[in-house]
Amino acid sequence: MCLSASTAGAVLATSVIARKGLLEREGELALLGELLANVKSDGCGAVVLVSGEAGVGKTALLRQFCDHQASGAQIFRGACDPLFTPEPLGPLLDIAAGLGGDFAEALGDRRELHELVGALIRTLATRRPAVLAFEDVHWADEATLDVLRVLIRKIEDVTALVVLTFRDDELEWSHPLRRTLGELAKQRSVTRVKLTPLSPDGVAELARPQGVDAGELYRTTGGNPFFVVEVLASGGDRIPATVREAVLARGSRLTSSARSLLEAVALVPPQAELWLLEALLGSRGNDLEDCLASGMLRSEPAGIVFRHELARLAVEESVAPDRALAIHRRALAALADPPNGAADLARLAHHAESARDVESVLAYAPAAAERAEAVGAHREAAAQYARAFRFADGLPPQGRADLLEHQAEACYLTDQYEEGIAALECALEIHRAEGDRLREGDVLARLSDFLWCPGQAHESERRAREAVTLLESLPHQRELAHAYSVLAFSCDRGSRGAEAAEWASRALELAERVGDEPTAVNALMVLDADQALERARRAGLDRHVATTLTILAGANLSRCRYREAARYIREGLDFCEERGFELSQLYLLAFRARFELDQGRWNEAADTAETVLTIHRTSTSPRISALCVLALLRARRGDPGWSELLDEAEQLAEPTGELGRRGPVAAAKAETAWLAGDREGVATATEELIPLARDLSEGRLLGELGSWRRLAGLEADVTTPVPGPFRLQLEGAWADAAARWAELGCHYQAAVARAETGDEIQLRLALDELQGLRASAAAAVVARRLRERGVRGLPRGPRRSTRENPAELTARELEVLALVAKGLRNTEIAERLFLSKRTVDRHVSALLRKLSVRTRAQAGAEAVRLGLAQGE
Amino acid sequence: MPRYLVERRFPHAPELSVDAVIERNAGDGVTWMHSYVCEDAPTMLCLYEAPSPEAIRRAARRSDLPVDRITQVRVLDPYSYI
Repeated sequence: MCLSASTAGAVLATSVIARKGLLEREGELALLGELLANVKSDGCGAVVLVSGEAGVGKTALLRQFCDHQASGAQIFRGACDPLFTPEPLGPLLDIAAGLGGDFAEALGDRRELHELVGALIRTLATRRPAVLAFEDVHWADEATLDVLRVLIRKIEDVTALVVLTFRDDELEWSHPLRRTLGELAKQRSVTRVKLTPLSPDGVAELARPQGVDAGELYRTTGGNPFFVVEVLASGGDRIPATVREAVLARGSRLTSSARSLLEAVALVPPQAELWLLEALLGSRGNDLEDCLASGMLRSEPAGIVFRHELARLAVEESVAPDRALAIHRRALAALADPPNGAADLARLAHHAESARDVESVLAYAPAAAERAEAVGAHREAAAQYARAFRFADGLPPQGRADLLEHQAEACYLTDQYEEGIAALECALEIHRAEGDRLREGDVLARLSDFLWCPGQAHESERRAREAVTLLESLPHQRELAHAYSVLAFSCDRGSRGAEAAEWASRALELAERVGDEPTAVNALMVLDADQALERARRAGLDRHVATTLTILAGANLSRCRYREAARYIREGLDFCEERGFELSQLYLLAFRARFELDQGRWNEAADTAETVLTIHRTSTSPRISALCVLALLRARRGDPGWSELLDEAEQLAEPTGELGRRGPVAAAKAETAWLAGDREGVATATEELIPLARDLSEGRLLGELGSWRRLAGLEADVTTPVPGPFRLQLEGAWADAAARWAELGCHYQAAVARAETGDEIQLRLALDELQGLRASAAAAVVARRLRERGVRGLPRGPRRSTRENPAELTARELEVLALVAKGLRNTEIAERLFLSKRTVDRHVSALLRKLSVRTRAQAGAEAVRLGLAQGE
Repeated sequence: MPRYLVERRFPHAPELSVDAVIERNAGDGVTWMHSYVCEDAPTMLCLYEAPSPEAIRRAARRSDLPVDRITQVRVLDPYSYI
């Protein structure tokens, strides 16, 4: 939809601001103009986030820009609706109406997310340069946010300036937009424009012609342009106590029939189409004209809208209940039979509820939920099912239980556990009262699945066993197979591998017999995740693919297989993002934070961990993991605030009693104690969990806890098998462990192990590496050791100058040089450093060249002279 | 918002565009309050308000400023005791 300049101009002409142009927005307008010019000149897209409080003038800025400065560009605008459960992809439908082409077709066919975005990019390429504006994205449905995320990730291919406007004062922590914003924060092509209220001078400039007390006006409005304009437009002779009054006072100057039109428009967000108004009120002469002239309403191509949402809210709340009910009833009837296109189910469900029309709610809300599910908007779907249930008293019990179970499913996918658990508990009661044992058992099993994520591990297992017992007493069917698989998971998460395998085998066997592929895949996740992945893919079981990718990412990470872990994390994140699987995505992000920490990519690890922490959700595992990563980063860097993070992680982990959640906290506590030189602290942090970890064969955790004990000079168990480098550390083979860590790309671990060899060269190398990582606290531990050995003149910060390392050797070359100086041959060095002989040959020739020497003996002498190695 | 004292040791006397630094800080919610410049060494002690140590490091990275030590601090002044 191209915004016509005359429409906007006509409306703006009625406002005080129009005569002045836009006050105090020159900078923002210039910035937008500059960005659009760049898009034109290099054909590479850009994103602008325009934020500010309600009424600060985001829309006015956008309109001013589109009307006066975006000449030559085509403009497409999509608005998000303030409905409790918005129409999925609503703003994109707006845009498709103007844009047409492949995109309109793809949207009409409800294609998958990536195809949709592909079509959008293709179509935009034919309309270049374009401005693509999404207004009020704080109201956007999930499906729209998904499209925006993918679109912005591919922004370099988009030949458009993408503008998003949103209210930043109303985003509570769990708002889905927060996550989108968090992800955008990392993109270079994103520009933020924060609109602030007008200054006292700006308000005075507006107030002067009206003869209003500017100081008082500024005080009551806080400089909010909407408030200011509303108050001034209300006559200006008297300053209303609140803007609500200002809005209503302005409405009250209309004739009573015009006012009822105003109310009708207020009750049918997002906009009142002309045909809808006619159906609601009949033909009304000049009322619409009056309302438009009053400046409270605006005519848009899609219909009549309030000039400002705040005004709509004020009017909506002021409508008498009986009149509101009548309007909602008529809106319901009219929207059910629109003159063109299909009925908008989300709007129908909204009016059905407001009209208290039980039958219609039960017809439209579940249908709207299904539509939302189809486009991956599971949060909207859950809300629509919940809405239907509120009106379901008259339904048969099984029908009510169906709604609850659907709602729970949608809640599960979006990590809304409290709601989901409550819905399942309620469904459970219904099945019990009805004596439907099969469905009772089935719901018990699902409840078990739900209870684990928020940390109720014991309760989760109890429910799973209850489900198995109940279902085993009935003829053995797919429900029992599913219950077995849930119990298998429960045991697996409790680190009881053998028992988990036993239940999983039973699940697999029964699932194969009754032909239940999803349960078979569930069982395989415990028994053989690679096979689970393959079968889930083949059967098109997206949810199972997501879960299996998450399991594989975590398993590879805990076995120090970083390359494989990286692959699964990347693949899993892309997969989940495109399908709206927020739960798996959260786990994968937590894994990514750990991966980045281990791989020495600390800045990225901090960003990722912060992203996980800003998403306030009920699943505690990812949060615990992210808290530990951030705490370790701070502790290693010598930054303040790590102990608070560990305290929170401990409070979340302890009550679950699960090793999987308590382990990372214990390991982090042990490390921070080691950094502080607190041997007692290391002992306390590790004592309790080591026997547990041994009983449950948790190799990685044993390796970590044992290593910190050894590093702190405490004894550690070496009998239980632990993954590669940890085994070397427990055996005291520190040099070998260091080489292995370095090979795995874990430079911090490598440096810590290297320092433990006790060799002075190794200590110096470790210090260098730790300073390079900006790990001040760990570097201080090593520096203290060196000083204890009488070494003086250690660099205090990272080596920047070439003075300390005149030949500019790399860390690896320094390592090789130290061994050359000891007289080792290349094959011996290769063995020692876990490198191929060819690689060592290359390092040796490079360091000979850099040191400007011809023989190994000369290189050794040079190393001693430079203080890089000790003389004989 | 917590306050942090940030120690910055420059390899050589720094040339800073203070305006640009302040603007880049804003993106991370980091506010520079004031700094003490040491007379005899290219070292600065800078007082900031910031949501977290990570935000300070992020802002520093963007402005290419060194961070040698971050300490969380509280204000204590004699006037509170008179």
